[in-house]
Amino acid sequence: MSVVSLEGVGKRYPSGEGYIDALVDIDFAVEPGEMVTVIGPSGSGKSTMLNLIGLLDTPTTGTVRHRGTDVSDFTEDQLTAERRSGIGFVFQAFHLLPMLSAVENVEVPALFANRPGRRERAIDLLERVGLGDRLDHRPSQLSGGQRQRVAIARALINEPHIVLADEPTGNLDRETGRTILEELTTIKEEQEVSIVAVTHDEMLMEYDDRSVELVDGRIQP
Amino acid sequence: MNVDLFARFPSLLLAWRNLWRHRVRTVLAMAGIVIGVVAIAAIGMTGTALEYGVTQDLGGLANEVTVFPGEDNEDDGFTEMQIQQIRRIATGATVVPVKSDRLEVSTRAGEIDTNVEAMARPSALYTASEGEIPDPLRSGAVVSSTLAGELDIEVNDAVTVGDRTYRVRAIYEVQGFTFGPGTVVLPESALREEPFGSIEIRTESGEASEALAGEIEAQFNVREEIVQTSTPGDIQEAIGGVFQTLRTALIGIGSISLLVAAVSILNVMLMSTIERRGEIGLLRAVGIRRIEVLRMIIAEALVLGVIGGLLGTVFSMVIGIGINASMFGDATLVLRWESLQFVLMGLAFAIIASGVSGLYPAWKAANDPPVEALRG
Repeated sequence: MSVVSLEGVGKRYPSGEGYIDALVDIDFAVEPGEMVTVIGPSGSGKSTMLNLIGLLDTPTTGTVRHRGTDVSDFTEDQLTAERRSGIGFVFQAFHLLPMLSAVENVEVPALFANRPGRRERAIDLLERVGLGDRLDHRPSQLSGGQRQRVAIARALINEPHIVLADEPTGNLDRETGRTILEELTTIKEEQEVSIVAVTHDEMLMEYDDRSVELVDGRIQP
Repeated sequence: MNVDLFARFPSLLLAWRNLWRHRVRTVLAMAGIVIGVVAIAAIGMTGTALEYGVTQDLGGLANEVTVFPGEDNEDDGFTEMQIQQIRRIATGATVVPVKSDRLEVSTRAGEIDTNVEAMARPSALYTASEGEIPDPLRSGAVVSSTLAGELDIEVNDAVTVGDRTYRVRAIYEVQGFTFGPGTVVLPESALREEPFGSIEIRTESGEASEALAGEIEAQFNVREEIVQTSTPGDIQEAIGGVFQTLRTALIGIGSISLLVAAVSILNVMLMSTIERRGEIGLLRAVGIRRIEVLRMIIAEALVLGVIGGLLGTVFSMVIGIGINASMFGDATLVLRWESLQFVLMGLAFAIIASGVSGLYPAWKAANDPPVEALRG
């Protein structure tokens, strides 16, 4: 069973007097343990697609399934619960909370779940991404690469089945970007988690299992 | 702050960190709350202290009834028969009919126009501080300590009242509020020509005096108003009413300052949620539910209200202790419920106002779509 699938998905935004089709008739699926990159020029609908997969947005047409379940009729709270338990997010701009330490940032998605062993797992994840000695540092005390690794640890705290990465190397220099991608590959293998990364960085394709190209909201054959 | 507490209440952790992040802003918003609470509590407690002071002064008079001629009393005084009737009603109480006039009182030291009362038993109404008041008073005079001071009178001195001279038998201490130099008390025979203009009654207790006053009025004033009665209860009630009105008005003004503080919390919370739009979007994206975001922001507003309120409470208590210590020399009076209620009222108002102020920013932040919030 696919971890996530989009079936005939379209997204249309109102624009001025008309509308824009950001995505048209997308069929796409991610299998367990697979890393897929979605590439394409800016404005091609990559981020929209990632938002639909990540349940941050709803499609105008078509069906989104997570682990086989159609989420079309999910309420906002059900979507939130699904994001919490099943999806990890990594953003270009890291989006760490400045007033929390590294380990607290990792704990954020699990904060309200009140599961025992949360702190231990957060520490374990930070150690795994090589930040075992930076647990109590604030984001402002960390480098870009370190921040993104905190974000990756955060994405994994609730043991998701899929991690969505939006330009994960976009704010990093090439070398740091490479270490982040190696980190993601390791995680994919160790945690048996699927990864969908959206990028226009060709380097990502060295690490993926397959890639999909979007142009003008359509997947290129 | 305790880490375990935060593990149990993650909203509180996030709220606390956010407030800490903008310490100056937080302190200023709290200062508004502190001022509001102090305004309400200090005004309320001062009013209570003043009222307490006034009723304390009146307290000694609680068992008194004074009977005056009513509007329809043609003699403008009481006849011997009426006095007998009052004596019958007031069994067990001391009934002292009083004649009064305004006369010139003079000694070698000077002369003053003052109130002169004539009665058979002044010892029931006055307590001597020097000398002794004879019971009954057949000759001589009793003067107030104020008058004694002004005219340089001592016991056994001679004073001239009107055209007759009396030997001073005693000096009494003036109690409570009085106007003018005070009264010279003479034997009943001194004002032979005057009617009995009032009747003073001393009962066992305050309640007894209220009951007696009601009974006297009921018996005399069947169709016409022959008598009027006055008890300290009436006065206390009137004073209490005045203070109540005054305090309500002043606390209303105090509340306005708390209202201003609440608006400033609303403003601070609104500003800080707009600033943190991306952070809140992130929280929503990684699976923090709307209700949890709502709780976090209301918690922030409440922390402002609770800490500001508690600080205000502390300051108010200090002020209350100061007022009560300086007015009555007894700081513990601040702990009376009449006084304490205003502190609690201020605290409750602070917490409620800040919570309500947090509602709108919280609702707004919780319902911001995460995609747009993350985009900035």
